[in-house]
Amino acid sequence: MSAIVNATYPTLNRNAGHRAMGVARMQLINKWTFLGIPAVIIAGAFLFSAVIWALIPDSVEVKYSGAGQAVMWYFFGLGIQSLTLSFPFSQGLSVSRRNFFLGTVGLFTVLAAAVSALYVVLGIIEKATNGWGLQGQMFAIEWVAEKSWFIQWFFYFVLMMFLFLLGFWAATVYKRWQTTGVLVMTLSAAVLLVGAVALITLQDWWPAVGTWIVALTPLTLGALAFVLVLVLGVAAYLTLRRATP
Amino acid sequence: MSIPIVQVQNLSRRYRDVTALDGVNLSLEQDKIYGLLGRNGAGKTTLMSILTAQCFASSGDVQVFGEHPYENEKVLSRICFIRESQKYPDDFKPVHAFKAAALFYKNWDQAMALTLAEEFQLPMKRRIKKLSRGQLSAVGVIIGLASRAELTFFDEPYLGLDAVARQLFYDRLLTDYAQFPRTIVLSSHLIDEVANLLEHVIIIDKGRILIDDDAENIRGSAINVAGTGARAESFAAGRTIVHRENVGALVSLTIEGTLSPAERREAQELGLEVSPVSLQQFVIRKTLDAGAPLERASTGAAPVKTAGTPTRTGARR
Repeated sequence: MSAIVNATYPTLNRNAGHRAMGVARMQLINKWTFLGIPAVIIAGAFLFSAVIWALIPDSVEVKYSGAGQAVMWYFFGLGIQSLTLSFPFSQGLSVSRRNFFLGTVGLFTVLAAAVSALYVVLGIIEKATNGWGLQGQMFAIEWVAEKSWFIQWFFYFVLMMFLFLLGFWAATVYKRWQTTGVLVMTLSAAVLLVGAVALITLQDWWPAVGTWIVALTPLTLGALAFVLVLVLGVAAYLTLRRATP
Repeated sequence: MSIPIVQVQNLSRRYRDVTALDGVNLSLEQDKIYGLLGRNGAGKTTLMSILTAQCFASSGDVQVFGEHPYENEKVLSRICFIRESQKYPDDFKPVHAFKAAALFYKNWDQAMALTLAEEFQLPMKRRIKKLSRGQLSAVGVIIGLASRAELTFFDEPYLGLDAVARQLFYDRLLTDYAQFPRTIVLSSHLIDEVANLLEHVIIIDKGRILIDDDAENIRGSAINVAGTGARAESFAAGRTIVHRENVGALVSLTIEGTLSPAERREAQELGLEVSPVSLQQFVIRKTLDAGAPLERASTGAAPVKTAGTPTRTGARR
């Protein structure tokens, strides 16, 4: 990136993938946002849980901690941030919306895959060490941890992708239609939800829904969420296509 | 030298109740410095935003480097447009912004960016959102210059910059342009200050292009004649009067065209003062007249403030 010596401009033929990669690297220029803060959250949540486990008398069989989900909620915020903060700037640097989307979502996909793998590994260690020697349970959530490592990984991965894309899409809707857009979006979601509840109630479907929920496994729930992730991804991309900085 | 790299046809942009651009036709040639001049809200930023595919047209056609720029990485990678109200990531410092720009501009000159940052006294390690208005402008100016993009837009680049920094920008722009010719569009409402840089002037008002001409032609296209009412009027008889200002018994007329040596002598004998019209005066005249017809503007009932002192930048032949 040093000074240019020749004044001629050779015909440009940058391949698009290169610039999507550039977006990923741009998102990583400040290492904290995508790497530092998640690491601090996971480490912090674990250390706090460990202290609490140590304080609880050992007569309790399993000391459960929900702190493992902390980083997932950060990913929701990260989805919002990575759009709001970086999209207008990327426009100033003449990056296409497509490459902004690919670079940002691609980067997060890699991150989510890595964190999910970390969770699986930590879950295995947790089980092998009797909950870090403290009977703690944070990464090996019973319902999930009894499945094969791949299903565990898939479950965490889809969950993280879901939260990130939800934030990313919401921020894109805000960017494009401001408050009205977000309002319409949440209201429609609420209407859909209430409508579904009303339908189930009127049709007397609750017992069936109950058995369905009980029958859900991490794999089926993950698969369902995966479909939602795809829908969110496509929706976010289509919304971004016409968004202005 | 006259390869058009931007072509705009019948471009319009309507917001709910505002027409930001109204049937704009335009063509920009390679390796020229353009001035996109006009009042605030005239449509300058909207036009640049559409040319760079940051915003969308309501109707009309835009071609940049022969293709539509929207989602067109081949075209976009040759363009740089840091807007006046450019947003940066919250946690970014200037050093980060330059690093990011280096990722996307293959001709990025980091050494130049660093030198400029030093010259502008830009604190590289302070968060951009904590910078002053002038320092914020400096970040945009540096990205625009160091990117060496084939088509570079500067959107009111001088906002908040002090006189020294502004001069520095103009100097660096010219030096670098001489070394690496490219197409530069300078949007501005401080016209006299940039007048010397411009090779071609586009004046936009209320979303319409009023004037699109070489700076030289514009400088030679009008002249000021001032003196006592009757004498000035009779001298100007038969000429197109672009603008008229009455101050007491004196009248100052801006007339179209140039004066021949004989006419100059005649004016002198009549005791009329002939002065060049600066680009800024010219733009003011044109935009005011576009808003109000000449007949009404020339009644002279209201004392009009004379538009500035004789200028450093106007035509001097």
